[in-house]
Amino acid sequence: MTYTIYHSTRFFYQHEVGFSHNLIRLQPRDTILQEVLNFDLIIEPVAAEIESYDDFFGNHLHHLLVREPHTVLNVVAQSRVRIDFNALEQLEENRVKVLSLTYAQALERMMFLTPDIIAAKQFSLKSPLLPIASAEILNYALQSIKPERSLYEGIREFIERIFNDFSFVSGFSDLNTPVETVFSEKKGVCQDFAHFALTALRASGLSARYMSGYIETTSHDGGEKLFGSDASHAWIGVFFPGFGWFDFDPTNNMVPRDQHILLGYGRDYSDISPMQGVVSGSGSSHLGVMVDVSRE
Amino acid sequence: MFERYSQNSSYDEMFDSDKNVRPHWEALKNNLEKMGLEQLHAKQKEIDWRLEDNGVTYNVYNDPEGLNRPWKLDPIPLIVEEEQWNIVEEGLKQRCRLFNLLLQDIYGEQKTIQEGIIPMEIIYSHGGFMREMHGMQTPLVIYAADMARGPDGKIWIINDRTQAPSGLGYAIENRLTMNGAMQDLFEGISVKRLYDFFETFKSLFQGENGGRNGEPLNVLLSPGPHNETYFEHAYLSSFLGLTLVQGQDLLAKNGALWLKSLKGLRRVDTVLRRVDESYCDPLELRPDSQLGVAGLVQSIRAGGVTMINPLGSGVLENLGLNPFMPHLARYFLDEELILPQIATWWCGQAKEQEFVLENLERLIIKTIDRIGEKHTYVGKHLSKKELKALRDDILDQPHRYVGQEEVEFATSPTMVQNSIEARRAVIRAYTIAQNDTYTLMPGALVRVGMNNDSLMVSNQFGGSSKDLWVLGESQSIPPIPFFKPKANFENSLENIPSLRAENLFWLGRYLMRSIITARMIRTTLKYMTNASRYDQSSNRQAGEMLMNALTHVTMTYPGFLDDETRLALFDEIASVSFNMARVGSLAQIIAMLSNTNTYAKNLLPLEASRIFERMNREWSQFCYEAKPSPRSMIHNLDKLLMQLMAYKELIQESLFADQGSVLYEIGARFERSQLLISKARALLTPVQDTVSEYEVLETLLSTCESLNAYRARYRSSFEMGNVIEFLLLDINFPKSLISEIEGLMNILPQLPKFKNATYLSRYEEPIFEAFSMMRLSKLDTLCALSGDEYIRSELDSLLLALSERLLLASGEISKTYFAHYDE
Repeated sequence: MTYTIYHSTRFFYQHEVGFSHNLIRLQPRDTILQEVLNFDLIIEPVAAEIESYDDFFGNHLHHLLVREPHTVLNVVAQSRVRIDFNALEQLEENRVKVLSLTYAQALERMMFLTPDIIAAKQFSLKSPLLPIASAEILNYALQSIKPERSLYEGIREFIERIFNDFSFVSGFSDLNTPVETVFSEKKGVCQDFAHFALTALRASGLSARYMSGYIETTSHDGGEKLFGSDASHAWIGVFFPGFGWFDFDPTNNMVPRDQHILLGYGRDYSDISPMQGVVSGSGSSHLGVMVDVSRE
Repeated sequence: MFERYSQNSSYDEMFDSDKNVRPHWEALKNNLEKMGLEQLHAKQKEIDWRLEDNGVTYNVYNDPEGLNRPWKLDPIPLIVEEEQWNIVEEGLKQRCRLFNLLLQDIYGEQKTIQEGIIPMEIIYSHGGFMREMHGMQTPLVIYAADMARGPDGKIWIINDRTQAPSGLGYAIENRLTMNGAMQDLFEGISVKRLYDFFETFKSLFQGENGGRNGEPLNVLLSPGPHNETYFEHAYLSSFLGLTLVQGQDLLAKNGALWLKSLKGLRRVDTVLRRVDESYCDPLELRPDSQLGVAGLVQSIRAGGVTMINPLGSGVLENLGLNPFMPHLARYFLDEELILPQIATWWCGQAKEQEFVLENLERLIIKTIDRIGEKHTYVGKHLSKKELKALRDDILDQPHRYVGQEEVEFATSPTMVQNSIEARRAVIRAYTIAQNDTYTLMPGALVRVGMNNDSLMVSNQFGGSSKDLWVLGESQSIPPIPFFKPKANFENSLENIPSLRAENLFWLGRYLMRSIITARMIRTTLKYMTNASRYDQSSNRQAGEMLMNALTHVTMTYPGFLDDETRLALFDEIASVSFNMARVGSLAQIIAMLSNTNTYAKNLLPLEASRIFERMNREWSQFCYEAKPSPRSMIHNLDKLLMQLMAYKELIQESLFADQGSVLYEIGARFERSQLLISKARALLTPVQDTVSEYEVLETLLSTCESLNAYRARYRSSFEMGNVIEFLLLDINFPKSLISEIEGLMNILPQLPKFKNATYLSRYEEPIFEAFSMMRLSKLDTLCALSGDEYIRSELDSLLLALSERLLLASGEISKTYFAHYDE
């Protein structure tokens, strides 16, 4: 099965901009589950320079230098991504196996510093946007995640409780809203829920990463509409020592299978923000984003 | 001399525990005694004077008097014998080599982490670890180590400095000052020279194949004059032949870094970086940074520029590494660590954490990096509550903390007022790595604590410094004497950095703006205080026009144009004068002028900065005075004007062409023209009754300092047509608007880009137009009024058109010479 993703970002500047450097993270990465068939980037006005490279986490970046005077910068990314059903089946088999791992066993295994555990542990540390969680947040997680219980089931329940206890309210939060506020107000958007889940799981001694990407918003068999339609989506990945990474989507109370398309991951949003730029001159700016995900 | 010297540490550099002088100090002791205490004290004064005269300063943050504090040097050096120094040399070279290998590994394969030589948390939770540098070549070039002698008489490592080590410039200046002022002390003592080391240092910037442009362009990137060690940035850049720049001077494109100079963009080969690494690029690093260059990381990634030290090297300033240094020495070099370090327990390990928590009250606790606000805690100085908070912080992120033994370091004899006392000394030594060759400077910057039990030895906390004498013969005799560097300016107008050019341009503008604004305020005030005596309606009308003109000239709208303000005239005058927060106020213009002065300071004579600093101080004080009377306001404005005029004269006398004096003049002419237009629009275009017209014209001429010239020329009373002709159109009167514009037209071709061009440049066109418009104007047409008009509309539209032309030209100059975005 193949998805076509159209992602347009428009920056509107108050004053004319003659020189702007931009970093763009809009090219999905390949994973076991997905293969990027092609990717196109259209920039208006035409960029004087475009270079692409991979960052520390292996995400694809583009660096753009726009030098034509403009008041609107339009960046359109189009990708075709194929989901591999064999890999999906493999994932389901692993999911059955991981059920046997308890939280206590997982913590014990994390002490053995094999290369994959060392690599995963960087996602257990404090990150730029996520401070150490309060005792209240930790307790919230530990109501579901219990030493002798299956870790996977515990996290699944934790995700479900977030879905039930928190309401999806756009406009309430922004990048600077602390996780503690999201927790006390019990509202936010997908990015807030992912951040909240990450702090709680990291406080529990687990390694968890921020997953950024897209979600197919209308189910192909006429089912319920999923959240995340207006822009890109965010969920989390959790490391199970001995079994690898498994993803969870607290916004939709589900386990990502074939409706999530990954752009990239990092410690939190700051590692994988889709676009950042520095422009010459002063004045304010605002932006408009449009995303469309459809099956071929 | 040393009878009353009491050593209060377990080890003193000069005396052993039986108060016998150590053999390698004997010669110096004799020289000191021959000199005598009184003479030594006089020498200290001479040193102070020399340092001040050479402008050697450092800045202290968060202190209103912290800018430009004089640097302090103790007349008594610290002496290290050759054998001891050889050990230090081997030890530091080893440590530098080790760090270099580790740095390549951290940003490369990370074998040390994967193989468990060092725990991942030490790197990944360190604020200096830059994921953006992943996969890039990061050779460490300059390594500084802070060292002190421990109770065992051995020299220990205290801290490592790898990010952008400071102090080298001060170390050179200390040695030069000792050479100059303290020759007598060297008698019979052979001290190693620093010359060879600096030749090696300079060779770092020779570049391969003589640089990418044929002639290498190397820069020292500084955060600017407000930085703690700005003196050193200016000093080192001239010493090493580097161009001193700030982030705004540079631009990143085409996978390289470019210096914006008046002539255009010039490609940069090597950057000696003194901007904190996280501030170097607002695009990829700290987005709030004003000190960096957007796209800099990308130009490094593309291999287009070399940076010393590389971004990301701050991760090595890492106390968490201390306990693992012996392992790393074995892993990388198969050697044992040569120099001892302070015993350090990293809390990321269970046993060590337990030990630290149990001994919290007697240990010194530090974070592994220096990123947070507070990174050092002295256990014994903490309250119960603070200890508890620290314990919680450690438990939250144990891998971010280490515990260190408190070590009593050696003392060294130091001049304190009139006697010699024992003070703790810390040595900062510098190693340079070039390919695989390591060179240690045979000398160092020594810093001594302010008081006797001072644990913190840092310039930020006061204290003094010393020269370090390493005994022994130098390997080579310098072919030329160790010369004192002269200020090194780029030797032609074309090459001056755009930022400096822009500053000079604004220096001209703000200086003229402050003079003209101060004059306007003063005249208005004086008129108001006099007029109140007569209280005639015509005087009131003239007074109102002057006040409106003040609002127009300063653009502090609504100002006097607002009916309610008219009820509180003095309040409004005070606000336009003193309210720093109000855009256009005199106080705000002086603040802007003060900024440009700071940047232009090293181009101006010392007297100019002294006058400026004094004026700034007195004026700021006056600004804060509660409710000044009109009389004291006039008095202080007079004083301010006198000082501004003196400052202006000094600038015009001393700034020379290759430094960019033409930019100052262009700025000054633009500003004078624009403000004259504002005044003319406010005072010459409205139609008034004869009495108030007379008053207004007289006052206008006096604010233009043109009263006497007018009288000499016209020998008549003030008449509107004459004044318009004189102030605006008279090409023979040098202060008239047309003369200012003609002056601009004549000096603009001196700017380098369109010299000797056949056609006018984009910034010359509007000025040429403005000149022609004025030249073609006829006084009669300009003055003409049709019946019921209350505005001379021909004159007003001419002035408006002129103002627009000037604005256009000024914008084009900015684009062409300061921004360079379209190159």
